[in-house]
Amino acid sequence: MSTAYQEPAGADVTLDELYQDPYPAFRWFREHDPVPWIPAAGRYLVTRHRDIVFVDTHPEMFSADEQGSLVTRVMGHNMLRKDGAAHDRDRRAAEPALRPRIVKEHWTPRFQQNADDLIDGFIENGSGDLFRDFAGPLSARNLAAIMGLRDVADQDLQTWSQALIDGAGNYADDPDVWARCEAASLGVDAAIDAVIPYLQANPDGSVISAMLHADEPLAPDEIRANVKVFIGGGLNEPRDAVGVAAWATLTHPEVRRAVEADPTLWRRVFEEAVRWIAPIGMYPRQTTQEVELGGRVLPAGARLGVCAGSANRDETVFERPDEFDIDRPPAPHVAFGGGPHFCLGTWAARAQVAQIALPTLFRRLRGLRLDEQDPVRLGGWVFRGVLNLPAVWDA
Amino acid sequence: MPVITYVQADGSTSVVDAPAGTTVMKAAIANDVTGIVAECGGQAMCATCHVYVSTPDSSSLGEISEDENEMLDCTAAPRTEQSRLSCQLVVQERYDGLTVRVPEYQV
Repeated sequence: MSTAYQEPAGADVTLDELYQDPYPAFRWFREHDPVPWIPAAGRYLVTRHRDIVFVDTHPEMFSADEQGSLVTRVMGHNMLRKDGAAHDRDRRAAEPALRPRIVKEHWTPRFQQNADDLIDGFIENGSGDLFRDFAGPLSARNLAAIMGLRDVADQDLQTWSQALIDGAGNYADDPDVWARCEAASLGVDAAIDAVIPYLQANPDGSVISAMLHADEPLAPDEIRANVKVFIGGGLNEPRDAVGVAAWATLTHPEVRRAVEADPTLWRRVFEEAVRWIAPIGMYPRQTTQEVELGGRVLPAGARLGVCAGSANRDETVFERPDEFDIDRPPAPHVAFGGGPHFCLGTWAARAQVAQIALPTLFRRLRGLRLDEQDPVRLGGWVFRGVLNLPAVWDA
Repeated sequence: MPVITYVQADGSTSVVDAPAGTTVMKAAIANDVTGIVAECGGQAMCATCHVYVSTPDSSSLGEISEDENEMLDCTAAPRTEQSRLSCQLVVQERYDGLTVRVPEYQV
């Protein structure tokens, strides 16, 4: 899939090249210039696995609270862009809704119901785009349930999520993007405000309920900001994990035979899919002090793009990193990040994708195969995944 | 200062000085002990700092909390009666001489 990256590489790489396929450039950087300054991104990219682990585990040197953060601008100040005690307070408030036991006992049956309802709606068609008709709406429906939102249409949540993501990346200052973002923000606020009185009086297992009833409860404006980051970040990751994992399984017959013989192997498929194509390919940090990283001295205040998508292809950690191989020796990928910001939705993602979405899809859609007439496309480097998954099955 | 011994699955050992107040996980990370991944940095959310405590008197390490208990059900290597999350073991003077076994894999 990847070819030797041709000079001129390095700093001349364009954002479009990264969007199309970041992996050749990442490989070149890891070998030749592991912390390059990329003018087009306005950041130093951190590309080696060991440097990224160092960044993740030294939050006192690498702040998440980036100056001028667009995430903060469009969502309000939230846990993704906080450090230290302020971060811990927000995170601890949400955590009870996302720990493994509540995921298993409370959310997994909901995930199964949501997956079955969606498949019931299209199984008789015999064909469809599983990205558009399954991965996206399933992720939206599961996310709404976990948050505690009610009566929110799958499409609304997907539209809000994309608008918030686009706003968080709107370095071009496009007024249309700000307008969509503002509309999304108002939509999310209204959906949250609609459930707060009920959840205040009737606690349940949801994130908003947990935030309201925490030892240190969050105020409504804090709930709005944090739920927005969950919506901006919690929809496309499970969606893209389902999309990439299903695509990889459909294009690797030996993997398909293995998971059909032993469904517990879906967990390996999931972990390998998010290693191979990390749904969050890059996330920002900012240095708090002068620091040496990957052989380069970075000044205080330097903006970094931490490239999980590159770390997960680091050949010093993963043999034949560009290959999708569920039998590779266990090694820690960084698709969920690390340190204080380790993905809070990790266990919900593992359950909804590896335990429910993938096995249910392949069990129920008999004879599932890709539609050869309509090729699968991929895109993105900050967020990356399949853009479509046209498939046919025996109706 | 308490001394902790980490025994790898292949039998190799690391002997580490661990000041009281740190955790068995952090002492391992600070001394580049392999096999302690600790993805979440000590929040009892990732189950990748799993160790087997092989001292007979493991009760002296303190109770397993509810959060640690549910996370121990998520470890990659099998959970046994000796399983603990090293991030939840806050080093005290009485830990001096503690030996922990590092599982073969954490992910």
